[in-house]
Amino acid sequence: MKAVILDGIVLGLGFGLLGVGLTLVYGLGGVLNLAYGEIAIFGAIVVSQAMDRGAPTLVAAAIGMLAAAGLSVLLDLTLMRPVYRQTGEERTLLGLLLTLGVAFVIVGLLNWKYPTGALYIFVGGDPISIAGVPMAAGSVWASVIALGVAGVLLLFFGLTTFGRGVRSVIQDETGARLVGISPSLVRTVIFALSGGLAGLVAVTRSMSAPLTVTAGFDLTTFALIVAVVGGLGSVAGAFLAGVLLGIVDNVSAHYIGEYITAIVLLAAAAGTILIRPRGLLGR
Amino acid sequence: MSEAPHTRPRRARVLLTLARALLPIAVAAAILVVLPPLWFEDSPYTTGLAVEALVFGCYAVGFNLIFGSTNQLFLCVGALAGVGGYATAILSDKASLPLAVGVAIGTVSAAIVGGVLSWIAVRRSLNVIFTGIVTLVFSLAFTNFIIGQRDLTGADTGYVLQGAATDLADDRIGGYYLFVALLVGLLIVFRVLQLSHVGWAFKALRDDEVAAELAGVDVARYRIYAAVVGSAMIGLTGGLFAYSLGFISPVTYGFAQVDVQVLIIVAFGGLGTLLGPVVGAAAFGFLDRALTDSGQLREAYYGAFVIAIFLFLRRGVIPFVLGLFDRLAALRRRSQRMEGATPGRAER
Repeated sequence: MKAVILDGIVLGLGFGLLGVGLTLVYGLGGVLNLAYGEIAIFGAIVVSQAMDRGAPTLVAAAIGMLAAAGLSVLLDLTLMRPVYRQTGEERTLLGLLLTLGVAFVIVGLLNWKYPTGALYIFVGGDPISIAGVPMAAGSVWASVIALGVAGVLLLFFGLTTFGRGVRSVIQDETGARLVGISPSLVRTVIFALSGGLAGLVAVTRSMSAPLTVTAGFDLTTFALIVAVVGGLGSVAGAFLAGVLLGIVDNVSAHYIGEYITAIVLLAAAAGTILIRPRGLLGR
Repeated sequence: MSEAPHTRPRRARVLLTLARALLPIAVAAAILVVLPPLWFEDSPYTTGLAVEALVFGCYAVGFNLIFGSTNQLFLCVGALAGVGGYATAILSDKASLPLAVGVAIGTVSAAIVGGVLSWIAVRRSLNVIFTGIVTLVFSLAFTNFIIGQRDLTGADTGYVLQGAATDLADDRIGGYYLFVALLVGLLIVFRVLQLSHVGWAFKALRDDEVAAELAGVDVARYRIYAAVVGSAMIGLTGGLFAYSLGFISPVTYGFAQVDVQVLIIVAFGGLGTLLGPVVGAAAFGFLDRALTDSGQLREAYYGAFVIAIFLFLRRGVIPFVLGLFDRLAALRRRSQRMEGATPGRAER
């Protein structure tokens, strides 16, 4: 039982890391970035290309995250401008459709250039024992990274001036502008952060299983579910939702059976949304 | 024919209104009917693509009724069609019921599922995004369910329908006319709803939900109503499509394959407009054919096209064209007024 829960937490931290990048962008004016998963895949391909050319893993990972962040900023500086000029539901819909188009473009280009592209980062070493349960080194490191990111993000939004500025934009765009915060600068920074997180997701995921070019769509849909269950715009919520869903996933895979698990997981997500439409930690 | 003579002008007026209301549908139907002999009758490949475009047009009419008219983002079009499709396939194949019964049961099941989803969304007063996520989750669960029931559905390998009629197959002209008839039928239903009191309620609740509620429109009831009718349309299309394809698999009704496309089609044509789904389906049908030879770059071109469209035609084709007409009419009115105001100058 202890091992099952612990595995679930490890899985869930990965889910949380996946959801957090999407939730941040949504927080800024209600745009769901449907190209999020494809940006992660773009990062993954950059990492694998860098590694093929002989870059050390850490350097390659850093390059991949920077590339994903750059792509995300490019998206913000070009296509997102007209989106943010709209308000309300028109903004939401235009944002959905444009990022959907971007997703098609990215996946199309990657499929064309690297049809068999995949990223797998092998983490060697003996299984690490946690609370008496041996865990694969790769997943332990992935969890440590996810926890580190959660901590840094929470500190950033809780303590630094800029982080509070971002939160003020999330809460009230007009009010933030009145007290001298530039929403568009904040947005660009958040898009960069979100893109970098997408790249990091690609890296941590590839530490336990290969990440292929076609995985982007699934990444986006799952990030969406985690972000909504946690409460859109909430960093802590995304991680909480991720861990809860991870535990549900693993427990049901272990006790009920592999095939039902996906349905149990989705039912848990739907149930949470219906009981708390704002998400676990949503406002 | 024993009515008093004075009621006749009124009846004629009603008929005239009805004829004018159905005119766009008649024009669209005429174009669709004469298209094959003029163009692609001999090419099974193009016919197949045309049938697919028509099927997407039918899905889009249903989705348009649900999302375009009552603002419920149903991201489960594929799943609802799948309910219709798998019910049709399994009932007429395994339980050897007549095809019509299978299609009917499939349609009703889809209507019930759509109604329940809408009821849940209305009861929990979910907004657009959250309705979208709950229905998306339902879609993914449905696909997993189909894959899990291997004995019944054939899972990923798919399911071959034994009783499918070859002359209605999707690369035959019979299949083409089957779906033209279906599309026209659905459009008529959509138009009649638009003109009835239901249409007024839809318009009111789309413009301002709170105001509509205050004015006595039962918003919840009309939402569920739209979801039931729209889902029935989607389920019926899914069932007939299964029959015409003769083979279905989870991909036939997959989220990525159906819902994404339908959303783009309806947004491109114009949300809530009568002919928007048809225009959108036709445009993407042509695009599909044009991109046939671009191989692996197909998706990239498709995405670039989607981006370009929504950057420049934000509200869709139909509202754009109607707006153009309005502007032209206003221009003409203004020039007439100016001529009328200064009659002397015009003569001089």
